[in-house]
Amino acid sequence: MILQQGEFDVLFAIVQQGLKDSSRSLSAMTTGVIELKDPVLKFVPLSEVPSIAGGPESVVVAIYLGVTGDLSGHVMMLFTEASARRVVDMLMECPPGTTAVIDEMAVSALAETGNVCGTSFLNALSDRTGLAIVPTTPCVITDMAGAILQSVAAELYLNGDEVLVINTTFNDEIPGHFLLMPDQDSMAKLVAALEAIE
Amino acid sequence: MNYETVPVGLGELKVGTRPGEILVCYGLGSCIGVALYDKVAKVGVLAHVVLPDSSLNRSPETLPGKFADTAVPAALSELIKVGGKRARVTARIAGGARMLNVIGAGSKLDIGARNIEAVKLALQKEGIALAADDTGGSYGRTLQLFVGTGRLLVSTVGRGEHEL
Repeated sequence: MILQQGEFDVLFAIVQQGLKDSSRSLSAMTTGVIELKDPVLKFVPLSEVPSIAGGPESVVVAIYLGVTGDLSGHVMMLFTEASARRVVDMLMECPPGTTAVIDEMAVSALAETGNVCGTSFLNALSDRTGLAIVPTTPCVITDMAGAILQSVAAELYLNGDEVLVINTTFNDEIPGHFLLMPDQDSMAKLVAALEAIE
Repeated sequence: MNYETVPVGLGELKVGTRPGEILVCYGLGSCIGVALYDKVAKVGVLAHVVLPDSSLNRSPETLPGKFADTAVPAALSELIKVGGKRARVTARIAGGARMLNVIGAGSKLDIGARNIEAVKLALQKEGIALAADDTGGSYGRTLQLFVGTGRLLVSTVGRGEHEL
């Protein structure tokens, strides 16, 4: 996707708002503070998507939300397995290293994290653009990064060629990747909406 | 023997003629790794099929291995170029998983199932026997074809590895 600088700036502001709302909601779930900040936005060609999280064979935890409404596509949050366990520790307010495996409880904590972050971002996007955006319920998958991302890429291959990748960190220490993958028609709608704001 | 790993990316197909070569599709999800092998000539080809049908194509450049219907004939013709004989070629396939099992996401996401069907149909059209398959499910697979022996290894996360 080719965005003009002004459109990119609008999108960046939306992403920052989304992270701010995510931080507030996640912090409210604990007695401490969870802060997501310093986002780095980039557009990545679909063919390179399977490699963004440490190579196609590295084990990752993905929290996936489908997107429907005026925009259709996918939103996904990705953590390495180690980072996912640390996020669970953070949410459960346990010392780092407590969560040894991604069990049912961990899956549900991660689903909630993905849900909060995904919907915060989509709400910020919806508020700014006026587009109606409805996420599906989250699903959590632990498997090879390539297998997960490539499955989304396969569907987008029908339509698009680049996805928006947002890299952020939880409390300056745990890296998380956030992927926005609208299909091609939705991308056109999104660009038009950003242009109108700018 | 000194082994050399040759990755086969999304939509690519690679031919192997040297005994030390290992052709690899890493992390197949809904994609399918199609391995054709001639055990007499000891040559093989691995295609990383992404989508079922080339009529879905909307991009100007197209990789030969991207669509099931074009990947199978292209793979076969590459294999014949390096000494493979159609009558001796057998096929083994792996992948076609449904990674994103989302309620309400509709059938669009089940590209894996459509890929399996399309690859099988394409093989049938070319008259190539399907010797083995490990398809479907909801987990990723890495596929390695050892060119020297024809050994085909499927590895997974948490489900071990096995030969196909």
